[in-house]
Amino acid sequence: ETMKQYCGSVMAAPMSSAGKPSAERSPFNTTSFQKKTRSRLISIPGTRPSVQNGQLLVSTGVTSLDYLLGGGLAVGTVLLIEEDRYDSYSRMILKYFLAEGVVCRHELFVAAAHDNPDDILQELPAPILDDVAIHKPVEQPRLSCEPQDSLDAMKIAWRYQNLPKVQSALASSSRFGHYYDVSKTMEPEIRQAAKCHRFYLPEHPTQSSPTHSTMLQSYSALLKSLQEVIHREGFEVAAPMSKSRNILRIGLHSLGSVLWGDDLCCHDNPSNSHALTTFLYGLRALLRSSLSVAVVTVPSHLIQDRALMGSITRLCDNAIALESFKGSERETNPLYKDYHGLLYVRQVPHLNCLASKLPDHKDLAFKLKRKQFTIEVCSSISHDLLRQRISVISGGVFLLKKIVGQQLLRTKVRTGNYIT
Amino acid sequence: MLTELLQGTDAGGFLLIQDSACLSGRHLLRSFINAALNREEAVHVLGFEVGEEELKDGLKGSPIQRLHFHNAYTDPLGWTDNPTFTVHQFCLEELTRLVKQTSHPKPATLVIDSLSWILRHHSPPAVCKTLQQLRKGGAVRAIIALLHADMHQRGTVGSVCQLATSVVTVAPGMKGDEAVAKITKRSKSGKVMQDEEIFSIKEDLTVAVQSRPSHLGPKQTDPEEQETDPTANLTFNLRLSDTEREAKEKLSLPFVFSKEKKTALLHSGPGSGRILYEPDANDDYDQEDPDDDLDV
Repeated sequence: ETMKQYCGSVMAAPMSSAGKPSAERSPFNTTSFQKKTRSRLISIPGTRPSVQNGQLLVSTGVTSLDYLLGGGLAVGTVLLIEEDRYDSYSRMILKYFLAEGVVCRHELFVAAAHDNPDDILQELPAPILDDVAIHKPVEQPRLSCEPQDSLDAMKIAWRYQNLPKVQSALASSSRFGHYYDVSKTMEPEIRQAAKCHRFYLPEHPTQSSPTHSTMLQSYSALLKSLQEVIHREGFEVAAPMSKSRNILRIGLHSLGSVLWGDDLCCHDNPSNSHALTTFLYGLRALLRSSLSVAVVTVPSHLIQDRALMGSITRLCDNAIALESFKGSERETNPLYKDYHGLLYVRQVPHLNCLASKLPDHKDLAFKLKRKQFTIEVCSSISHDLLRQRISVISGGVFLLKKIVGQQLLRTKVRTGNYIT
Repeated sequence: MLTELLQGTDAGGFLLIQDSACLSGRHLLRSFINAALNREEAVHVLGFEVGEEELKDGLKGSPIQRLHFHNAYTDPLGWTDNPTFTVHQFCLEELTRLVKQTSHPKPATLVIDSLSWILRHHSPPAVCKTLQQLRKGGAVRAIIALLHADMHQRGTVGSVCQLATSVVTVAPGMKGDEAVAKITKRSKSGKVMQDEEIFSIKEDLTVAVQSRPSHLGPKQTDPEEQETDPTANLTFNLRLSDTEREAKEKLSLPFVFSKEKKTALLHSGPGSGRILYEPDANDDYDQEDPDDDLDV
């Protein structure tokens, strides 16, 4: 069940369906010009083939994260996000992922045990595009009534002043990766245009009869619900090709937490140590045979068994971990003042290949800005770690002079002790 | 932030007081009970760890009638024939029934002393599920619970803290009657606020908050590291004086036109045709004419 198989089945679509004009014409299509696509893939809005291995990719909603994962999230894979301590940023990335689905007109499936999925959907950030709202007509760039103000805005590049700030493409959904403004929530009209399936655990009461499976009832109910939605809405790869295909974006919030009925986060030696891993195995099998992509957040900072955390990471294809500075001593550290936390790439998938390309840089830090979630290489981390690695033993006194801008260290040894 | 919390938790709020063997959080808990009673709220206390008299010690006046103490101290596990309240009654149906028994216009505040006791006899997932159901149920307006953090595994404490909207961790302060409270509050929008305050509890169970604690020990400042100014000690001058800056602003750049010419160029009239073509990812922008190699 490799990716190529289902990609192959998509590629083997009959030529007639690939060539015929799309049933839903975007209102911006004012010409009869038809682009001649080289590939015979049915183009699903919001996806693009990977430049590295030809996998079908979707955007996570965060362009810097797409870059780290090798261009985007491959359809049929799982992204694991290890939550930060207060679940602020992991929840934000989940919301970006779902918002991207709304903008690309994918279908959504949101599951949560703590908060109602409707609450999560209402908090989705507003996209920064003037052509995303499908029902609104394209606004012509307004000729400014006060020439002084607009001319003063740009001193040197004044010729570009009246051009709209964001290029309004003819078909907005063909763009890969959008930007969002987190200070505003997505308008209800845009959100309701997308089809959302919900799974709120308290609405699925568990039977008191004991089951013999290794999976918890909450997880098996979730898996069953997912399977049913995928089958009913026609996301399976083997489904008939007559319908236009779409992607299902699955967001699973805080799996493994105590409200899912799992004691993985409570006890050092959990009694259901295989419940979540069995679920993830089943989830991945479901995803491989369907046109869907999943983002799962797990409160890993509460899981004491690191071996188990390793298994959970292995069972997901992509894995990142977030560590926010809030509440730690790093919050006041001047080295980290430009960032909100650190990001670790735990795993990238190797689909249909022997090895995958891990990102070169290990020291990544993130910052949630109003219009962008940036992930950058943080050089301050290397300095901080360097300082920590040099330790004093048995009463010796050392003088370290670090020259800013150079990687040189001059140490003055007062006694005959050594640096480790 | 402690005073704000004492003034009232929002509806559906869950305040957790974490203490340890070094300092008991029960005094602060009683201050919260006192504050709730003074706000004319009904308070239901599930008392597992101390008896009624000890808990009510210091609470005076008429508000005390609104305090309903459910005695789980004498027989918590139901060993006698007539237990008043047992730990097995800690579930949504029983607690809702208990709270609704006393007729009061406002929904009550539920105080749990202590949650650690319940966690010894029920699994954490079950306890957390009940707490979450209570919060969303509406029978209870707010929940205040005491948790002994050193009695449980880290994961259990962390899981319960994740459920709480505010967590107050108490620790002994520098002086005898002072204590340090570390407060973490989660707002509905997801924002997390943290604070650290020194407080002391007076005779009448009111809380006096003092200033923030000074950080113990000197900060680790590296005396050797100084911010080097890159524009200093150069053979050329990188800085601008004020007159120089003015002159720079006044300088007219070669292709900067006057305002009138700019407007004329920007708002070009009809007749100037523009072809706007956006080649996107699918397009093959090939300059070569494929007919070039036709041998005609």
